[in-house]
Amino acid sequence: MSLNAKWVPMRWPCGPIEAARISKSSPAASELRKTVEGWTQPSALQLVRGTPINCLVVDWASGTADDEAQQAALRPLIAAGRELGLSFVGKVGTSKNPAAIVTAGRAAGLQAVMMDRAASMDASASHPLDLPVILGFARDSIDWDLTTDIFSATGNVWPGVVLPTMKGDTGVGGPTGDPWVDSNGWFALLSRRMVSDQSLWLEIDLPESSGVLPVESYCRAIADSRAYGSHWVLSLDDAMRAGMLNGDPQAISAWKSISAALCFFEDHSEWRAFEPMGVLAVVSDFRGQNSFVSGETLNLLNRRHVQFEILDRRGALGGAVNGLKAVLWTDDDPPTSEQHKNLLDFVEQGGLVIAPQYWGPAGGVPRQEYWLSGYNIYDLRKGRIVVAAGGFSDPFQLARDTHLLVGRENDLARLFNPGTTNCFASIGPGRSKEIVQIVNYADRTASYLAVWVRLNAHGAKLWSPNSKTPISLRCTPESGGTSFELPELSVNCAIEIERTV
Amino acid sequence: MNSSRRQFLGAMTMAAGAYIAPPALLSAQHAPAGRVAVGLCSEYNRHVVDVLSAMFDQLGGLEKLVRGKTVAIKLNMTGTPTMRLRYLQQGMTTWPHPQVVGALVHLLGRAGALRIRLLESALVTSEPLQQFMFAAGWMPGDFERAANRVEFENTNYLGSGKDYARFMVPHGGLLFTGYDLNHSYRDCDVFVSLAKLKEHTTTGVTLSMKNCFGITPCTIYGQDVPEDEPGLVPTGGRFLLHSGKRQPPKSAPPEVNLNAPKEDGYRVPRAVADLVAARPIHLAVVDGIYTMAGGETPNRHAAPIHPGLLVAGTNCVSTDAACMALMGFDPMADRGTPPFEKSDSTLRLAEQLGVGTRDLSRVDVAGTPIAKARFDFRRAWNTTV
Repeated sequence: MSLNAKWVPMRWPCGPIEAARISKSSPAASELRKTVEGWTQPSALQLVRGTPINCLVVDWASGTADDEAQQAALRPLIAAGRELGLSFVGKVGTSKNPAAIVTAGRAAGLQAVMMDRAASMDASASHPLDLPVILGFARDSIDWDLTTDIFSATGNVWPGVVLPTMKGDTGVGGPTGDPWVDSNGWFALLSRRMVSDQSLWLEIDLPESSGVLPVESYCRAIADSRAYGSHWVLSLDDAMRAGMLNGDPQAISAWKSISAALCFFEDHSEWRAFEPMGVLAVVSDFRGQNSFVSGETLNLLNRRHVQFEILDRRGALGGAVNGLKAVLWTDDDPPTSEQHKNLLDFVEQGGLVIAPQYWGPAGGVPRQEYWLSGYNIYDLRKGRIVVAAGGFSDPFQLARDTHLLVGRENDLARLFNPGTTNCFASIGPGRSKEIVQIVNYADRTASYLAVWVRLNAHGAKLWSPNSKTPISLRCTPESGGTSFELPELSVNCAIEIERTV
Repeated sequence: MNSSRRQFLGAMTMAAGAYIAPPALLSAQHAPAGRVAVGLCSEYNRHVVDVLSAMFDQLGGLEKLVRGKTVAIKLNMTGTPTMRLRYLQQGMTTWPHPQVVGALVHLLGRAGALRIRLLESALVTSEPLQQFMFAAGWMPGDFERAANRVEFENTNYLGSGKDYARFMVPHGGLLFTGYDLNHSYRDCDVFVSLAKLKEHTTTGVTLSMKNCFGITPCTIYGQDVPEDEPGLVPTGGRFLLHSGKRQPPKSAPPEVNLNAPKEDGYRVPRAVADLVAARPIHLAVVDGIYTMAGGETPNRHAAPIHPGLLVAGTNCVSTDAACMALMGFDPMADRGTPPFEKSDSTLRLAEQLGVGTRDLSRVDVAGTPIAKARFDFRRAWNTTV
């Protein structure tokens, strides 16, 4: 038994553990308890029939007195689900006797368990577990050396425009007057690079809401994860689940839209093989104390629509920098002697390296540019090493400065009338096709959105979750590339571009 | 209509020298008039150079104005570089088209300009102007290749200068006694305003004069500037000039009257009139080949239009007066009359400062007569939207 990269996961809240959670948070919510009871029944599985969802994540053990009843309640559900071709992953939230819990899960028909590292270590201390494990991490302390074939991360953001400026006593606004957009895209890209043969499942807390979340909000969460190559463990709010169970037309309609959003990416599974594009590589070990600056810089470069590649500092640079125009070395740690040679070769051939410390040839005399405060520039044959005088501490400034140093003349993609949309460009095997995924993070429809890419295109198709057939887009040569006018955009779309070689 | 270069230079001298005129000259009837040339040009293509060249000849030729000189061109790149009216590139609606910029640079270079500096106070950023252009899809290299020694500067902050250049307004100023600007507006011999033929929500029209509202750095006249000294980087728009709710840093010249109205329809026209009196425009060029009606920046009420016009002149007030007439407005209009429904007339205020006349009966209009070239903006807007 092994983890299946083709699983499309959905959290399936049911059973006594969920009922207990509800009782704690809202003791008077009898309607919610009915919903939980309903979702525990095998008949509820009909809701996912005909959708891409093929893996349900259920609570299997929480370390409470409810565990035994939970597992008993789940057995018929799991059995019925297996008949329908569904897989089940059991969440194990306890370190007490985990091996036995896992064994029981296997007997009940679970195909994997999801647990954090501590529970996993306890569970596997004496002998191997009976089921494969999906290890769960907090995003800000992920250990890239321990990730499993599928691994999950908590601490993610709900994708969208952040409107409140305060959460309790804490300011949650961004550093600019622009709308602040929350996205997990950068983290999915990081994951793709750090553990390229593994799959990231994002666990995201639903935003606080007094009612049913807008369906666009769900679709955006799907698009923000799938466009960048991760899976959101789909999770529905209580009111939505109640509505679906009761056959509420609005809830059913919303569910169909959510399913269509998932289908969109399943129908184009070939896009998963497309590689991120970039003329800039961000290099870090993305671990420990380096993870904040490097991670947030990725986030903010993405926010500026900068397309980038990611390189793990622990690996060899070698040919990875060939073809790039710039390397952003975010860590204070200097390069190894081999990396040092690679980088100096890169610079001498015309490349740009941005670093927090100077480690170029001794005797280098720096110069300054008036528009680039706080940096020393060392010219080295055809290229430059640009060093932040005080190191890197502000990712917002670093992302901005990096973009300017690399130069917008090297942009690979631009958006016009972007509002709060963003784009992610990737290139297919053979380099004849490019995909530009576009996500609208606002609740409002994006109008007159235009996309420009730095390539000559002889054809382009617009794929949208609303339609199984694409729209042909006119390719307009502009500024050394090609631009495309998009129709009104609710949540997301993708442009499939045929490159002129 | 032909004219001699002597006349051309005479007009130049009057326009540029108006700011030192004694108070006795400060009446509309004594404000200088400059020649204005109107050219028809239907598209942005290589004919733009030919039409502009002919227009400059009608004004007396560029050579004696610019040969051996440093020429600064204030562009009219208002707003953000990624904001477009519908799907149209900025040059088709809100900004002068790069074809016009390139043609002007080429003609200035051909006329012997020693150095040509493209200037703009790029919105809320201290990034190099070329980067701002790239963000809009412009190719600044095209301008560099159009003449020898073409430079760029973002004038929204101190930029490459060591200090700000102070321009005192003749006779004390209407809104401020003087303005501190990026050095580029001082370190030039010839100042050109290259604007778009447009209406403006606040000031009725935005032409060669209103374009100069953007020469003020937001490190001094922007939002959230420090109290004592200019900020290091621009923050926000020019709300200080619009609203008057606070004063610029103490290092800058103060407002003439702290009790002046805080209404932008009062303040912005006065600031513009002050600026063009303090920093005279030698040559005004207005791109109206394609443009927009219903505002100055992309908005859902605005519409793209196609007047097919280029306008140039040696006096900014006279040039803007001709532009207004071409747009279907009365240049003698003032507050309460289109297009000044909500503001005072910048033209009238600049005229009072002695910068130039808006009385077209005193202006020599060369090229296509206004009556034949007129494109009624309001009518076009009504039929388009």
